[in-house]
Amino acid sequence: MREVAVIGSGMTHCKSRWLSKTYLELAQLATKNAIEDAGIDVSDLDGGVAGIYNDIFEFMAIPESPLQGIVGLANKGFSRVTSGGATGIYTMYNAYNWVASGMHDVVLVLGVEKALDCYDFEAESPTPAVVQTIAYSWDPWFERQIGNHASSSYAQVIAAYRDEHDGDLTEEASAKVVELLCQQAQNNPYAQRLGEAVSAEQVLDSRYVIDQIRILETCVYTEGACALIFASKKGLARLAGKMKQEPIWITGAACANEPYFVGKDPKRHKVLHRIQSDEIVAREALKQARLTVDDIQVMELHDAFVPQLMITLAEMGVVPLGRANDLVNEGIIMPGGKLLLNPCGGLVFSGHFVGGSNMMSTWSIMREMKDRDLEHGLVHGTGASLSMFGGAMIFERRR
Amino acid sequence: MVIPEAMLPPARIERVKGNFGEEVLLRNDAMFTAYRHSAGELSAFFFALADEGRIIANVCPSCGVVNCPPYQQRCPECNFTDMEQIEIKDVGVMAATPVITIFPPARFKGDAPFGTGYVFIECGDSKTADTALPLRVRTTQGMLRRGIFKRDTPIKIVFKDERQGEITDIFAVSQAELTREQIAKSPLLESDLEWNMPKEPEFEETEESKMAFSKILFRFQALALKVSKSKAAQKDLANWTRRVEVKSGGFFFLLNINDGKMSAGYEEPDRETDLILALEDPNDFLPYLERGAALTNLILSGKLWVSSSELETITRLDRLPRSLRKDGV
Repeated sequence: MREVAVIGSGMTHCKSRWLSKTYLELAQLATKNAIEDAGIDVSDLDGGVAGIYNDIFEFMAIPESPLQGIVGLANKGFSRVTSGGATGIYTMYNAYNWVASGMHDVVLVLGVEKALDCYDFEAESPTPAVVQTIAYSWDPWFERQIGNHASSSYAQVIAAYRDEHDGDLTEEASAKVVELLCQQAQNNPYAQRLGEAVSAEQVLDSRYVIDQIRILETCVYTEGACALIFASKKGLARLAGKMKQEPIWITGAACANEPYFVGKDPKRHKVLHRIQSDEIVAREALKQARLTVDDIQVMELHDAFVPQLMITLAEMGVVPLGRANDLVNEGIIMPGGKLLLNPCGGLVFSGHFVGGSNMMSTWSIMREMKDRDLEHGLVHGTGASLSMFGGAMIFERRR
Repeated sequence: MVIPEAMLPPARIERVKGNFGEEVLLRNDAMFTAYRHSAGELSAFFFALADEGRIIANVCPSCGVVNCPPYQQRCPECNFTDMEQIEIKDVGVMAATPVITIFPPARFKGDAPFGTGYVFIECGDSKTADTALPLRVRTTQGMLRRGIFKRDTPIKIVFKDERQGEITDIFAVSQAELTREQIAKSPLLESDLEWNMPKEPEFEETEESKMAFSKILFRFQALALKVSKSKAAQKDLANWTRRVEVKSGGFFFLLNINDGKMSAGYEEPDRETDLILALEDPNDFLPYLERGAALTNLILSGKLWVSSSELETITRLDRLPRSLRKDGV
């Protein structure tokens, strides 16, 4: 396998509704920004991989087809990835393999999503329609018929974790993490919730959207796009003299999906109180990078829901399972703590444009590693029913 | 109809303001695909539910794993050995604390709050299936709230009287709510259960509660005045009419919601109210009235008793504080 570097990134602003832009325009804008950031020309791209979670959000089947020419990849390889909430990290994983395998040297990694064009004409609000659209990701014979959906699915994992670890993952600790993410988002010029101030007390006062999860602990529905440029060493040599950015190297990449059906045996079923996929991908990616979790200075983790984020951190070994409260109480992820967590504000405050959220996390981690002179970072994605899809990548800055 | 008429978009194209103040075109549309959706090999499971009031599972003759629901016909762990169909019991335990949905997908708007969870169903002496059946969980005691179900709570599967062959033909009820005879009956039908709304709680009348209650009424009146000054708050209450009786310790007042307007007062009810909210300590309303803490959370915690399972009024009231902040009222 060849080494792969990220040499550029481009964001659009994250908005709850981009009335002024279609997903075509968002995709092109992010691609243009990434090309400019890298300092290369669009003709330098050998191909691309696009992450678009949901055809229904884009109001089009095969929504990647009009993007081909728009992002400058006419008559080149361009593949679309969709893997639930983990679409972003899976898109990056595929693009990584395109480069690492030797097939291509410079590859566009694009993530884009609309969402709020869906509309519930009865409720006169888009939100129930968005929730319903995501709920179509559950099987039509069992889960969907009883009314399960994204929040209930994650809440079930959180409830089961709290069953297993009595007293851990308190609402107070989760509220403090929300407050932290809100403060950090103020440093992200693209964040959807830039300018908001949310205190832990406000979180605890906010209503439950489902038992276990309050509305201020959830990510927001977002429209936006992010693009990255992946390149091999050969690609870097080809682009020598043009590149504007210091390359950040991907030294570990792993994906793992747990089984769909719930049961008792973690080897063959989804076990409710675990997010095993997070444990597996972190372990595997760190092993490839020859690091331990303690070597990671900055993480951008997929926070669909803040209590899930805390479980993910425990699954990755930042704290033991059952000790998620320590993340806050021991100050591990708090300002001045040993781990910088979701400096962009996470998906809760920056926004969750599903196909590209994990690319946004990568944009953020590259910025932080350069600005703060950090050596090792980790980006993670999760998704699908009961948080069963997982992916992680390790990033390294070589000085 | 599969799609309620109210959810169908009227044909319309309009011009609205975009993110930069420019005009953009907005067209009502739908991604319309109807289905005659096959249950295929899963049909046997649904036929057993609908026609016989039985639950079937698949067992692997090689490793003995029992799958309910019977989602696969061959065991991947045993090199795809054919699995065999067996009948299992209609009792089991919760795999974990089930969750209560407050804000549902569009299709289930009228159902909230509702509970969903996973059940390990008994399939032999002291043995439960290796996989868990996703089910609705219900209580015979009014609105579903925390504490009724937990991990390992023993449950009974209840069959609807009219069944068509879908997973919602059955649901789980805590065995603690059933008699020994009901637990033993198989199949236990929905009509075999007493679906009582819990009796309205009675709270002691004290001078303290009287004082507190007056203070609460005053604050609800102040809230109503603020609503009259906030377009966003009026929108929260638009197209909604409810007469809500708020009660505590022998005292009551009426909260009137009428298409964007709200009022609160000691008015005698001249007709039946739509909803009763009762709580022991009127001061429990203060976090809502003072800083916008959600009323929904009071219900989930069991502190606020509600006379019906309709949550829409509470949800709309919960939106008001944020709307008032938004409008600077």
